[in-house]
Amino acid sequence: MRTRIIAATVVLYAACEGATRQAPPAKVAGVRVVDLIPASLSGETWQDAEPFLALYASNAQLMAASAFTPNPGGSASATAPIYASNDGGDTWTLRNTLPSQGMTADITHAAGATPSVLYSGILKVPGVPLNELKASDFFSPATMTLQASRADVDQPFVRTAQAASADRVYVGLNDFDAPDGRTATVDVSLDGGATYTSRRIETRATVGQNGPSVRPAVAQDHTVYVAYFGWRATTGSDVTSDVVVVRDDSGAGGATPPFRDLLDPSDHLPGRLVATHVTIPWSNAPTLGQERIGSTLSIAVHPLHSDTVYLAWADRVGTGDIYTVHVRRSTDRGATWSGDLRSVTNATNASLAVSASGTVGLLYQQVTGSDSSSRWVTRLEQSRDGFTTHQDALLATVPANAPPLQFLPYIGDYNGLLSRGNQFLGVFSASNTPDSTNFPQGVVYHRRVDFATHRLLDGTGATVAVSIDPFFFSVPVLP
Amino acid sequence: MYTRSAMLLAVLLAVPGAAALGQMSRATLVRQSDIIFIGTVTQVGAVAAPEVPASDRNVVVHVDQVLEKPAAVALGAGDSVTVQTAQRGSLKPGSQATFYTTGWIFGQGVAVREVGHELGHSPVVATVQAAAVARARLDMNDADLKAHIQQAAMVVTGRVDQVRPAELAAAPARPKRISEHDAQWQEAIIQVQDGIKGAQAGEQVVVRFPTSLDVAWVGTPRFTVGQEGTFVLHKDSTSGSPNAMLAGRSVPAYTALHKVDVLSRQDATRVRALIRKP
Repeated sequence: MRTRIIAATVVLYAACEGATRQAPPAKVAGVRVVDLIPASLSGETWQDAEPFLALYASNAQLMAASAFTPNPGGSASATAPIYASNDGGDTWTLRNTLPSQGMTADITHAAGATPSVLYSGILKVPGVPLNELKASDFFSPATMTLQASRADVDQPFVRTAQAASADRVYVGLNDFDAPDGRTATVDVSLDGGATYTSRRIETRATVGQNGPSVRPAVAQDHTVYVAYFGWRATTGSDVTSDVVVVRDDSGAGGATPPFRDLLDPSDHLPGRLVATHVTIPWSNAPTLGQERIGSTLSIAVHPLHSDTVYLAWADRVGTGDIYTVHVRRSTDRGATWSGDLRSVTNATNASLAVSASGTVGLLYQQVTGSDSSSRWVTRLEQSRDGFTTHQDALLATVPANAPPLQFLPYIGDYNGLLSRGNQFLGVFSASNTPDSTNFPQGVVYHRRVDFATHRLLDGTGATVAVSIDPFFFSVPVLP
Repeated sequence: MYTRSAMLLAVLLAVPGAAALGQMSRATLVRQSDIIFIGTVTQVGAVAAPEVPASDRNVVVHVDQVLEKPAAVALGAGDSVTVQTAQRGSLKPGSQATFYTTGWIFGQGVAVREVGHELGHSPVVATVQAAAVARARLDMNDADLKAHIQQAAMVVTGRVDQVRPAELAAAPARPKRISEHDAQWQEAIIQVQDGIKGAQAGEQVVVRFPTSLDVAWVGTPRFTVGQEGTFVLHKDSTSGSPNAMLAGRSVPAYTALHKVDVLSRQDATRVRALIRKP
């Protein structure tokens, strides 16, 4: 049965690779797709891009999510919102608990071991300083507590783990104030966010900085991997970069300097060079389906077997492509790496997760077609055999040219994918036209919509303009 | 008799500082609120939607008329709203009031936190209240603009003669960084037609503005050649380079990063009046 599903989806994938949609996409059993916008915000028209998700291992009902969703009260509001679900993602509420004026710039978050503790890293508005925050209960109306703050930081990316009775917090970030242009940094807290120490992970010369994305991944045995871009040269529009992975075998809590446990055989420096001298187009302008490109990176470790780790990044290969996502794997703690197990052209926002059973999930968003017929296609692929075969859940296929962008990023510089139990759970942003053909697995809206006429409606029944919404999804892990 | 009483009550409520307002003036209530409605308390210690936590501070209010709300919020007459009261026990079932609130939880329904309320309700009062709240909002907008003007280094009417890339003097210790949040500064050269504050007609001033489409700069005013308006200008403390070059001279650079920093040409009259206003 599984072989049949995989075969069917491989055929489907081949069909969808073309510019036209020829066959109805396959429906994968048990998939949920839910628009996060609640009924009481049915008039919402903002570009709710760059979504993220946090889950609790011990409580399947509680989830937190974020996006560039503003406080409905307006830009003068002293707080920004976060989404919360207490029914496993079926419904969501928006709560104004982040200390940022109206909305945040970058935001990610991760759950503490005890529900409903939540850690968040945001770039606060105005001025976009880093704020490292904690809520003891993210359902509480209280504003999240500031634990650390500083300026000149980009893309905080939060992961957590528990050791003894304390939460460990790892915030990957690009710290422009780091010495010698070695800006790839992980802020590490071993005491539930009470104190943070900035750990510099780049050991080689850079062009003056690293790339924005610095991504930690933590296994249950406290092995921590961190992926980053080692920027070596730039022409302005193109960056020549290494794709680097560092590792710490004791959760960055040991006596020796952290993130020094994985050396590259070429120079014996910490940080395995998984790919060298790749060309990354740096375009802070609409480039791929109205989206900018330049720093797509994800890493995921098998939660129970930390020897196995997957890495995805995007660069430009050849001349007929804008941006290609690559996926590679190591089964020996990062010492050696496969070649590309999977590559996807004209794609971004790759997010990886590995289930407890070892199945890897790859979420990505790809532009297919061209010009007015181009579409943003969001897929979750999962594989148990290193992508020799994979199951493909087509989550959304929406016009890439509508709505027009309000700002960048259009759908996000990243999205979110996690695994818990027998589910992959994630979030992505996409055009929100209520058209069933756009969501082949089905979709649930709580905001007012009329599927028959493909219209969004406000509280009075008047038509609301199409915009970008965040969508939650769950997909059963391949058995 | 009913009409006369209602009118008397309306007059009382229209006076800021009346007893029903408690410690806050109507202007203060309006300033701190983003959802304002007239409604009737139907339940105490209850919630109107399942996502709102139970608390004896919460009351359910039947909405009779919405006076102000953000466009995104689905709220209208006939809806029930959960209000987390500012003071436990301050409202009883049947209490009719104008509620000044901020959004709290947006889910199946709307839950709000009370900033304050004004007791009293009737068709006549509702009309008066709507007008009073609208007037208070205008007053608040004026007060905010006046404060903004007072903080500004310069207020002018003028025309954008030129837009050019900004030449920022890089501090030696701070090399240029590549970031998706980079402002991508440009400079607008504004020919001053009327110096309202800190400038004289005929002057040229350099105003830096971001051209970045990045989320960090969303909503920031932009400038184009030929654009005319009333400009509230602040000394540049954002780009890291306080001076600009103009006709071979180093001159102070200004910014106009707030949405009220760029007004229409016609707003000059309002701006002058606000400056004169004590």
